[in-house]
Amino acid sequence: MVDIDISWIADTFGSITPVLPMVLVIIGALLMPGIHLLLKRKNVTCAVSLAFVVVAAVFNVLLLLGHYTGTYYGLFTYDAFSGLMILLFQAVAFIAILIAGPSSETTRLHVGAFYSLMLIATAGMSFVATASDLLLIFVGVEMVSIPSYAMVAMKKKDPRASEAAVKYIIIGGLSSGLTIYGISMLFGLTGTTNIADIAAALATQGYTAGLVIALATMIAGYGFKIAAAPFHMWAPDVYEGAATPVSLFLATGSKKMGLVVYVKVFFVMFVTIQAAQPFMTESIQYVFAILAAITMTVGNILAIVQGNVKRMLAYSSIAQAGYMLMALAILSDWALTGAIYYMFAHVFMKGGAFVVVAALITAGVGETLKDYRGLAKRAPLLSAIMLLCVFSLAGIPPLAGFTAKFFLFSSAIIPGLGEPVSSQWIWLAFVAILNSAISLYYYAKIVKAMYIEKGESEEKVKVPVAFTVAAVLCVLGVIALGVYPEPFLYYCSQAALAIMP
Amino acid sequence: MFDEIFAEIPILILLLVIPLVGAVATLFMGGERQKYAKYVAGAFSGVTLVLAILLMFVDNTALLSENYLWIDAANIRISFILEMDGLSLLMVLLTALLVFLVVVFSASESDRPNYFHTLIMAMELGLMGVYLSADYFLFYIMWEVTLIPMYFMISWYGGPRRHYAAIKFFIYTHIASLVMLIGIFAVVFEAAAVNPGVIADFSFAAVNAASGSFGEVFQVLVFGLLFFGFAVKMPAVPFHTWLPDAHVEAPTGGSVLLAGVMLKMGSYGIIRVALNALPDGAIWWAEIILVVALISIVYGAYACIAQTDLKKMVAYSSINHMGMVMLGIAASLLYVKYAASPDASIAQIGIMFAVFQMFAHGLVTAVLFMVCGYTGHALGTREIPLLGGLAGKLPAYATFMMIGFMASLGLPGLVGFWGEFGVIFSFYVAAEAMGMIWLIVFCLLSIMLNAGFYIWAMQRTLFGRETTKIDLSHVHDVSKAEGFALAVLCVIIALFGIWPDFALGYIETFVANFAIPGV
Repeated sequence: MVDIDISWIADTFGSITPVLPMVLVIIGALLMPGIHLLLKRKNVTCAVSLAFVVVAAVFNVLLLLGHYTGTYYGLFTYDAFSGLMILLFQAVAFIAILIAGPSSETTRLHVGAFYSLMLIATAGMSFVATASDLLLIFVGVEMVSIPSYAMVAMKKKDPRASEAAVKYIIIGGLSSGLTIYGISMLFGLTGTTNIADIAAALATQGYTAGLVIALATMIAGYGFKIAAAPFHMWAPDVYEGAATPVSLFLATGSKKMGLVVYVKVFFVMFVTIQAAQPFMTESIQYVFAILAAITMTVGNILAIVQGNVKRMLAYSSIAQAGYMLMALAILSDWALTGAIYYMFAHVFMKGGAFVVVAALITAGVGETLKDYRGLAKRAPLLSAIMLLCVFSLAGIPPLAGFTAKFFLFSSAIIPGLGEPVSSQWIWLAFVAILNSAISLYYYAKIVKAMYIEKGESEEKVKVPVAFTVAAVLCVLGVIALGVYPEPFLYYCSQAALAIMP
Repeated sequence: MFDEIFAEIPILILLLVIPLVGAVATLFMGGERQKYAKYVAGAFSGVTLVLAILLMFVDNTALLSENYLWIDAANIRISFILEMDGLSLLMVLLTALLVFLVVVFSASESDRPNYFHTLIMAMELGLMGVYLSADYFLFYIMWEVTLIPMYFMISWYGGPRRHYAAIKFFIYTHIASLVMLIGIFAVVFEAAAVNPGVIADFSFAAVNAASGSFGEVFQVLVFGLLFFGFAVKMPAVPFHTWLPDAHVEAPTGGSVLLAGVMLKMGSYGIIRVALNALPDGAIWWAEIILVVALISIVYGAYACIAQTDLKKMVAYSSINHMGMVMLGIAASLLYVKYAASPDASIAQIGIMFAVFQMFAHGLVTAVLFMVCGYTGHALGTREIPLLGGLAGKLPAYATFMMIGFMASLGLPGLVGFWGEFGVIFSFYVAAEAMGMIWLIVFCLLSIMLNAGFYIWAMQRTLFGRETTKIDLSHVHDVSKAEGFALAVLCVIIALFGIWPDFALGYIETFVANFAIPGV
């Protein structure tokens, strides 16, 4: 669509151009403790780390618009898919850092270390998005996980946070163990850790017990990162216990990283061997379809009974991951396009909701449905933003959630670009639509509390301006992606086509 | 006369943009400025009404079509298509008229009037969108857009049980729209499936062009989905229970729009979407539609008799009258199904008068709900046993109520007569073709019951000895604004009663281009 000249970037940075967005963030992460030590100003540290993310994002957008593709010694590949995913992680980091500055939950933390960890985690996500080798992906995931454990545990005085951190570390360790076990089995079977080479090797091998164990442990291991049911138990506790900016980062960023891994490993692998191993591919497709159906149903049903908004949003994140997993079951370019679109819509709508939650906690309102009563009078703008975000999550037009669900669910009916209608996955679309109907119930409970019920206090809520800015940015994204999807859809389909072998 | 002018300006999109701007403008009129919100809303809805009236004088309504490409992915095409024909014109006119009069009637609203008008204007946007869109995606979006303002209208400005009524309304109609959405997906993707190589185009035209190749079983199943979605909105028994609650609790303005134009979305959807996309399915379902229509008519009328709340009675009468609309549709389908050699011009009569009945009911029910609204807020109660002999004290109110009731029970010379007359006539023809003329008894029963409960209610509220059960000393007759809104409606009711051909002319141009299934 847009064509701009980016040859100057490649000329200036030479061989590191493909990893440039990642390297800039890592430099920021390394400098951050020092900067905080010298300046000792919390807001300055926050602003500097924000600046690093923005600069990295600007370069990334330029590379994306210039349709840049390149590889760093065969280890990292920058293409339309990884570029778009890096942009997503940068957007998440931007929102999280922007609200971490004024949030009351993060003021007592070790400020320099906190931003440094967040930037390392962001770089790790970009690492995963560009890596083309199973071991590199594993390293990238750990690069995100370990800072995440620390960020959750940083709220030392809060027993809920400590509990959350312990749970998170134990579950995280288990999932890493499972994953590396699966990778080693796969290496034993195929003699390589490069995804493309593994796919080529599997195309000639049939089903073996070792392969089944390898795939099962890897699906489970990364399933923990996505919080797909039945590997979701940790997510509500962690999201509830962590500081809200961290919850936002985990729910919108870390979860997407898990999905990116699924796409890079399983999607690519099985699309490649679909023709050679139809039975194996189809059985894996059904595994993912059932995983998706269970995840969305469990998430939505458990969300209904929650009284804590943060916890409710955590369960809703689980359900949303279920929708996005549909792409793995359908295994087509159009489904992947829809899933990528959904990931971005999810960043804005879930991000907006978490920003409002964080703002209200900082303002001393609280985080339960009871505290939200009568909020529309006390904080009209934040309530309106929350309303738009949860309606978008429920899939009410013309907001981003509806458009994204529309693209994704339609791929269950028309699997591929330019392909005819197929009836194989229509049941999955039915399950998804039914789930959207259920989800409206608990989202409406938030709206009802804010707009219909009367609260005890009438006092106006005052929040720092950074929250308002972050929330407005999110809601603009929700509306833009909902009303005018065409240009962005183009980049999503470019990304999907880039990853198709 | 206006053909040249309207060929130049995108008037249909203006019908959406003006209410949208009005909604945004009133939204930001908080604080001191909120008392001016009604003038802003009046101006925006007035301009919309003027545009809608001007559209009546465009000779060739088929010219009115605006098409913008919206989403053009590799295998899905969604367009922003607005189209206007005789059917859309009447509905747009009704929407614009009622919205304007609701703004006038609600001039005394003092509780957050800016948000009240925002909701009204947002509803106008959604309603205009539903009646003008010619693309399934746009149609569905606009369908949902009407839902949220009505939810807030009931839950913010409604009566004592408003929260329950609002959530019930929302859940019923949202689930119905999701079922409808599945139906829409099904027809669009089936249209793409029967023509290999064709992408999924969401425009009405693309689906209608492919509808000939849809399989019989598919048509029957999917018509069921769409019919369910539309019938809940109409509402038809047994999916009607949200309606009395919503109406009783809604503020007057909300009730007028809900009964006057939002219920028509259901019957509009059946005619515009379901009959066109799935003709064989419609024919298969004809008897079921008939049974649903007859049950709605008789049950609605009986339920009216049992009500003591004036507004609840009027709400149930909507079920009866919308049943008449469905009966007209069923009559057309049954005639085609059973007549030895169906004649297109006779088959059209049912649909034609069903549309007329939609229009007539919109006008009449607006008067009735305004009268009920006045009763509730001026007298403090709507319980019929507490009222009595109001005609002497409140002459203007009594006159409007009588005109409304008479029009609703189908007095010749008023607009309600022609709708019922035409529908029953077409049903007679259909029943004759089926060999079951005795079915007409249900219609006669409905006419009788209608006359009965209206005249009985009128006698108990307006005539007889003046009531002592409530204090009438401080009650004033309808205000100027309320009187203006009611008078305009009464004049229009009489006008179309004497000269129905004015509306029928537009409907004729519509049905002339409309493919009655099976003919």
